[in-house]
Amino acid sequence: MISSTSETILSIKDLHASVEDQEILHGVNLIVKEGEIHAIMGRNGSGKSTLSKVIAGHPSYKVLSGSIQFKGKDILELEPEERARIGIFLGFQYPVEIPGVSNLEFLRVATNSRRKELLKSELDTFEFEDLVKERLKIVEMNPTFLERSVNEGFSGGEKKRNEILQMALLEPVISILDETDSGLDIDALRIVASGINRLSQPNAATILITHYQRLLNEITPDFVHIMADGKIIKTGNKELAIDLEKSGYDFIDTNTKEKEMAK
Amino acid sequence: MTQSNTVEEIVSQPYKYGFITEIETEKIPKGLNEDVIRLISAKKNEPDFLLKFRLRAYKQWLKMKEPDWSGLTYSKVDYQDLVYYAAPKQDIKKKSLDEVDPKLLETFEKLGIPLSEQKRLSNVAVDAVFDSVSIATTYKEKLAEHGVIFCSISEAISEYPNLIEKYMGTVVPINDNFFAALNSAVFSDGSFVYIPKGVECPMELSSYFRINSGDTGQFERTLIIAEEASSVSYLEGCTAPMFDTNTLHAAVVELVALDNASIKYSTVQNWYAGNEEGVGGIYNFVTKRGECRGKKSKISWSQVETGSAITWKYPSCVLQGDNSIGEFYSIALTNNCQKADTGTKMIHIGKNTKSKIVSKGISAGQSKNSYRGLVSISPNAEGSRNYSQCDSMLIGDKASANTYPYIQSKQPQSNIEHEASTCRISEDQLFYLQSRGIDFEESVSMLVSGFCSDVFNELPMEFASEADKLLALKLEGSVG
Amino acid sequence: MKSSTISEAWLNSLPPTEGYLKNEQAIGREFLLEKGLPSKKDEAWRLSNFNKLNSFLSLPTIIDSEDTKYIFPEKDGNRERIIINPHINPILNINLPNGIEKLNNREIEDNLGKIVKSTNIKNDISVCLNQASSSELLALKVRRNFDHSLEIIIPSIEGKSIATRIFLLIEEGAKLDLLQIFTGNNNSAQNHLIEIKLESKVELTHGLISLGEEKESSSICTLAVEQSERSKYSLHSIHHGWDYARFEPRIIQSQGEASTIIKGLQVTKSKEQIATHSLIRFEGPNGKLDQLQKAVASEYSHCIFNGSIEVPQKAQKTEAAQLSRNLLLSKRARIDTKPELEIVADDVRCTHGATVSQLQDEELFYLLSRGIDNKHANSLLLKGYYDEVISHFPKSAGKWKFIEKLI
Repeated sequence: MISSTSETILSIKDLHASVEDQEILHGVNLIVKEGEIHAIMGRNGSGKSTLSKVIAGHPSYKVLSGSIQFKGKDILELEPEERARIGIFLGFQYPVEIPGVSNLEFLRVATNSRRKELLKSELDTFEFEDLVKERLKIVEMNPTFLERSVNEGFSGGEKKRNEILQMALLEPVISILDETDSGLDIDALRIVASGINRLSQPNAATILITHYQRLLNEITPDFVHIMADGKIIKTGNKELAIDLEKSGYDFIDTNTKEKEMAK
Repeated sequence: MTQSNTVEEIVSQPYKYGFITEIETEKIPKGLNEDVIRLISAKKNEPDFLLKFRLRAYKQWLKMKEPDWSGLTYSKVDYQDLVYYAAPKQDIKKKSLDEVDPKLLETFEKLGIPLSEQKRLSNVAVDAVFDSVSIATTYKEKLAEHGVIFCSISEAISEYPNLIEKYMGTVVPINDNFFAALNSAVFSDGSFVYIPKGVECPMELSSYFRINSGDTGQFERTLIIAEEASSVSYLEGCTAPMFDTNTLHAAVVELVALDNASIKYSTVQNWYAGNEEGVGGIYNFVTKRGECRGKKSKISWSQVETGSAITWKYPSCVLQGDNSIGEFYSIALTNNCQKADTGTKMIHIGKNTKSKIVSKGISAGQSKNSYRGLVSISPNAEGSRNYSQCDSMLIGDKASANTYPYIQSKQPQSNIEHEASTCRISEDQLFYLQSRGIDFEESVSMLVSGFCSDVFNELPMEFASEADKLLALKLEGSVG
Repeated sequence: MKSSTISEAWLNSLPPTEGYLKNEQAIGREFLLEKGLPSKKDEAWRLSNFNKLNSFLSLPTIIDSEDTKYIFPEKDGNRERIIINPHINPILNINLPNGIEKLNNREIEDNLGKIVKSTNIKNDISVCLNQASSSELLALKVRRNFDHSLEIIIPSIEGKSIATRIFLLIEEGAKLDLLQIFTGNNNSAQNHLIEIKLESKVELTHGLISLGEEKESSSICTLAVEQSERSKYSLHSIHHGWDYARFEPRIIQSQGEASTIIKGLQVTKSKEQIATHSLIRFEGPNGKLDQLQKAVASEYSHCIFNGSIEVPQKAQKTEAAQLSRNLLLSKRARIDTKPELEIVADDVRCTHGATVSQLQDEELFYLLSRGIDNKHANSLLLKGYYDEVISHFPKSAGKWKFIEKLI
């Protein structure tokens, strides 16, 4: 799928970012091209989730220096909703519950705002219901979820499936899935992973942020990056993830030490 | 850009209904005294008992003091500087709509309340009140086939004096409070509804109040009687033009539900709220009360309060009949310098009476939004229950939200439960919606609607979408 | 009789005082002379039983020394005990441990009355009653970084009315475990004004056991606490057995950034009336409050709770929770509860709740079905109900036998 002529979708250069006046990212570099699947692994607190929030434009996170380009355009000045509309999708680690707001209505408004950007016609209630029912199959969700409030009272697995459903509806160019596998049992993991696989497109890309290698058994990444202390310290192919699984994160420490020694 | 600033911008939206209808109006001179009351009564050709009722109320009013307990400050009303009767110049009431001044019809059409036969709403009967008089009531004949009386209160006074004499002032006595006494003395018009025994009213009934004159006090009076095993759903809407002076609106609403009867009373209040600096706007000092006199009767209030400079309003239920039910669902949205002090009283007297209160207050700008309520269980109200939930949402750091739920119980075999919370729009929820491509403005609007959904669910269908739109309108605006 | 005339007669019967409280007395007198006693029109006194208040004020205030004889449970080894006898300097009869000392003149002048003044209550009758009548002051400080336990006992005298004034300054970083006991006597009245200032990083655990338990005893107590930043204050109070009692805790977090815990219990029977009027105000950001007020009213009695929480604009990120839980056990008893929340800051999390009910039938039935008789089952359930407050008292408080009295 990957060819040398593939267009670059996301280009992150020397990104430094902070939250609550504490610098978390200390210079992240990452290039993602069409058709690629990247996995970012690392310990808790290594900056993985921060990176995803910064790309999506969360207002609590401040970019101190560096750049993020999407298809060659700087996106740091864009509002979160503008980023979403041009095709950046963040699958949340902890999707929030929004009582009182109908899931169906939410999905429809979101879908239409993306369609508008793509110069597609907006869907009315009936058209949208047809579309959403078809997409529900991808994540094997029961239509009754549509009648409930956004994520309210959903189990962990249901919330994650609702995230993938949104991905299916919004047809993003780049999907950043933050710990989508955490808290899922084997069946839910399989459903979510197969959903992600089915949704992958030659002109789109995926970044999987994960703790464990088990999601990577279901979805084969082209690149595996290891993050520590707000930086990507090692990049490899899926063998790297297997090594990591075998020897644990301690091997990063030895690795970094060796590097420092070499210096 | 700070988040709360922009949320604040969103809730600022110009008032849509601020226009004035140019129409010749007949007004009596300013001021209030016994002669003015006699004049109002004479203009309306009222029977003697009503004049006496008015004069009694006036005497009581003179002895009463304007209340100041709520802590709301406002420039005092000069009661001698108000006009107590204003009516568009035309014969008292036209037999057919064709004879109504087209300017008036146009006014109501502009307000979204078409009255003409071709355009009127198909399933809602409307009584349109302009300043002091009712100008038209639709579907009267159709309702009459079911024995339902729906007309202006003036008409009811001349056509059904026995019903008026029997019920008026029995739920809200003339000396109930300062503004109720004033209303009882000078009320001009309003709506009257009578649902006979066993009848389920075939359509929604609705009154639409429009204040047009700037210096006229608005004192309408509504009386709804639901006989045994009958039911009715009634809606009330209100708007007024923009004046830089304050206009007083002191209405009285009385509801009576007999055995097994049920009354649902909904209000969308959108009086002019004054400008951003708090100049002008309506003083909305209203007394609304329903009595569940019969066994298993039910009165349900729902209100969406978005307008007025100051609102004082506590639609209440007196639960006399055993097993009767009272409900209060409220959304109050205040912005700029608005002040709303609203809530309810649930007075449990009969056995096994139940009440439920759901209140959602949203305050933005420098506004002050208070919930004030009383739940009282008397010694005989065995087996009674109340559940209250009062939530406040704050937008901006100058807005205030106060909650004063007062609970009084004298009956051990009863249960009262009250819950309340105050919060602001959650940043995480906002970001979640935005990160799905929904713009900031719409996200805020969705979250506010979601916050209010418990109450929206209680509004009549036609109304719910109107109310949702009204909130969205108030929340809409220019985001940079 | 008109309330204002009672006031004047009562005021004239009060002994004059010298020293720090002289000025205070003048202020209290003047206020009461001008405003008279509260009436139904004062929102904060609307529900008060004025007959009971009048009998509170009818008791003489001159005390002879032979009046003061009491027997108390033995004191704890590690807890210093102060017994307050009216008109006798309370400091005289105890040895203050290292780290607790009397306030010097300047410290008293700098602080006295300031905290209660900052609570800003309109028509502050409870405080004026005390100002007009108390003539001795117990003013102590706990020195920086000391950790102490202290017990202050205030007994009543049969047929008499007493007034006490206490000021505690707890210096930065100090810890104090304070247990206060008020006891009633036949036909007695007491009236307390306590001011406590917590400097930064202070931890104060304050147990307050207020037991009437004798005929026609009454008590009015105002507790004003100022908390500096990063201080922790927890108040656990029990009011029980008074014919008429009124407790007004007022807590100001003067810079925010502090934490307050209040667990209060009031239990009434017979024709008693006990009221708690609390006020918590946050004057800075990041303050925390957890308040639980429980009340149980049986027979012909009346329990009142009025709880104000004020969160002004400068108190962003305040988290406050208040819960009022009430049991109404008789058809002739009455419960009034009124939370009052005033919030002008948007980034806050405030919740409050109130319930009024009886003991749960299902719980009772469960116990009965296990062969426990009705009386025991009820007292077991009540004990469980009280436990949420009582469990916070130090173990040694148990010797005051209040748990037995409550059930």
